[in-house]
Amino acid sequence: MIFPVEIKNLHFTYPESKKSILNGIELRINKGEVITIVGLSGCGKSTLCYCICGIIPHVFEGDMQGEVLIFGNSTKNMKLPVISTNVGIVFQDPDTQLFSPTVEDEIAFGPENLCVERDEIGKRISKNLELVAMEKNRYANPENISGGEKQLIALASTLSLNPQIIIFDEAMSQIDDAGKLKIKKAIRDLKAAEKAIIMVEHDLANIDVVDRVMLLKEGELTGFKGSLQ
Amino acid sequence: MLAFIKLENVTFSYFKDKNAVKNISFQLKKNEVAALIGPNGSGKTTLGKLIIGMLKPNDGKIFIDGIDNNKMTLGQIGSRIGYLFQNPDCQIFTTTVIDELAFILKFKGAPEEEIKKNISETLELFDLADLQNSYTFNLSQGEKQRLAIAAIMMGDPQYLILDEPTSGLDMERKAKLVNILQNLVQSGIGMMVISHDRAFIDLIAAKKIKMLEGEIIEENC
Amino acid sequence: MKKIADILDPRTKIVMVLCVSTLAVFVQNIYILFSVFSFTILITALIGGNLLLVAKKIGKMWYLFILIVIVQSIFVHSGKILVKIGSFQLLTLGGILLGVEFILRIFIIISSATILSTSSSREIIQGMVQWKIPYEIAFMVSVAIRFLPVLGRELKDVVTAVQLRGIDLYRIQIKKRLKIYYFIFTPVIIGAIRKAQKLSTAMETRAFRAYPNRTSYLVLKMNNIDYWVIVIFSVMTISVIILYYVFLRRLI
Repeated sequence: MIFPVEIKNLHFTYPESKKSILNGIELRINKGEVITIVGLSGCGKSTLCYCICGIIPHVFEGDMQGEVLIFGNSTKNMKLPVISTNVGIVFQDPDTQLFSPTVEDEIAFGPENLCVERDEIGKRISKNLELVAMEKNRYANPENISGGEKQLIALASTLSLNPQIIIFDEAMSQIDDAGKLKIKKAIRDLKAAEKAIIMVEHDLANIDVVDRVMLLKEGELTGFKGSLQ
Repeated sequence: MLAFIKLENVTFSYFKDKNAVKNISFQLKKNEVAALIGPNGSGKTTLGKLIIGMLKPNDGKIFIDGIDNNKMTLGQIGSRIGYLFQNPDCQIFTTTVIDELAFILKFKGAPEEEIKKNISETLELFDLADLQNSYTFNLSQGEKQRLAIAAIMMGDPQYLILDEPTSGLDMERKAKLVNILQNLVQSGIGMMVISHDRAFIDLIAAKKIKMLEGEIIEENC
Repeated sequence: MKKIADILDPRTKIVMVLCVSTLAVFVQNIYILFSVFSFTILITALIGGNLLLVAKKIGKMWYLFILIVIVQSIFVHSGKILVKIGSFQLLTLGGILLGVEFILRIFIIISSATILSTSSSREIIQGMVQWKIPYEIAFMVSVAIRFLPVLGRELKDVVTAVQLRGIDLYRIQIKKRLKIYYFIFTPVIIGAIRKAQKLSTAMETRAFRAYPNRTSYLVLKMNNIDYWVIVIFSVMTISVIILYYVFLRRLI
């Protein structure tokens, strides 16, 4: 069976480091599954996200052993633009993911890069704005909306590439309660649409609907129950 | 105990039409931790900036230790109240931890011996002894924050204002921060924490001031 | 009713700015310069540029104005002498004239730039791309425009943070102040580099530079009014320059 995400014996060491940060990660994620990975700061959660969305090895360098398979294809053999049509990622900082003058431009950015034709881009913009319930902000300047809304636009901007797998890398840590509610709702809608979702968190309160929780400790993934103290 | 910081009918707006802070009055004492809570846009960060003198109120007065803060320079306010920005990066000016702690005293020309003594005490107090020779840009978020607070405390302020100190910190680092802040309170430093992290506030704050849309809606001890 | 600024194509606005700025730079005669100045104010007001802001910015440069007046008076002896100290001609009519010309030029250039600011940066990039300028260059410019105010705010925060540590920047001597500026430099640069890293990573995850070309959702179309404005402005600019040189030759 081909999984959306299958990780086989993944090891990773950063160039300046002597110790590996990921030691033999094994993971399989299904369609429509929400997986939360918890762990303390610095344990490698973001590194794992980067390996799944292709930033490692294509943007960040390091010693990567083992495989990350996206629908059966190894990320090492895929070009980053191709990976981005399969895996989308929302980062922690709302202010360094948005750089266009309007929300509409921001959401169009990805498909434009992939030479998608205009009509299709228009459809994707409308569809994804509706999904994050931000249609009325279509022409707003991303700088003037709240943190939670910025993350929703970042989500819509990555969804416009039609990925089946979406990663949230501590996406709620700089957002207030009202914003978190909106993001949690969007995640629920995405699960209903059969996307595979990976959430990385160190604040358990941000976890809403979830199928599996795993702990990343000393570079290994184990099942997790209980509190983080 | 007398109030260290007093706000009287403070009003402020960024643009002509909307008031970010409306007619706020309250007092902060030196021996307690107060928390300013509320959603984004409620005016709590603006209030912090007004107290520290980064912004000047359109109406009303703010007194620090009895003096109108409008009559003080930022330097004078800063020697009484330390302010921790939400982003620790913008208040770390040097490249190593030790340089950062020594920075201000060295600049003002304090004697070597005094600087050395203060530094070793501070390193212990803030659990930075292992990192004393580390480069500042290699530190984690939690470590940078401890360094920023430590460096501010080297200037001996009597009060601290912290703007969203827990953003980006995990449970373990938050507990460490609570520890350090509690130690500071015990040594007589008052503080006001601006935060929307309810768990953190419950652990540390004695007095809670709730804001919404520029006004205080609840004040309890 | 739609604003004129919204009707005009950004490329038209670029042409307008170029024409007016060219005149501002080339023309030396103060009467013609003043006419260009009045014309620019009229156009800027019509388009909806913010003239008050420009006036404020220019107002802050008053010391530059005084400096130019004095330097020109001392070194270029032209016009009636108004103030003399020893053998130094401190203030001459010619000097004042040149100072005024400087202010007019700056005003023309800056207020014409506000014409450009009535289009969003995305539209301006698209205009440049449709004029065959490489997308990467235009995009880099737009990102710079987007983040310059952010860096400005951070710089302000860093300067505030330094002062809050007990250093009153505006009361210490120049030598010490320069030293502090060096320390302010570090966090601002590090902050800028960090932002650039995060930004570029985010762009790569959205397939930036996946292919040598890209499509565009936003397509600009020039209307008749655009062509008319471009033609009128170009013809006017060229005529003024030709007439000006002819006029000059007649004088000589």
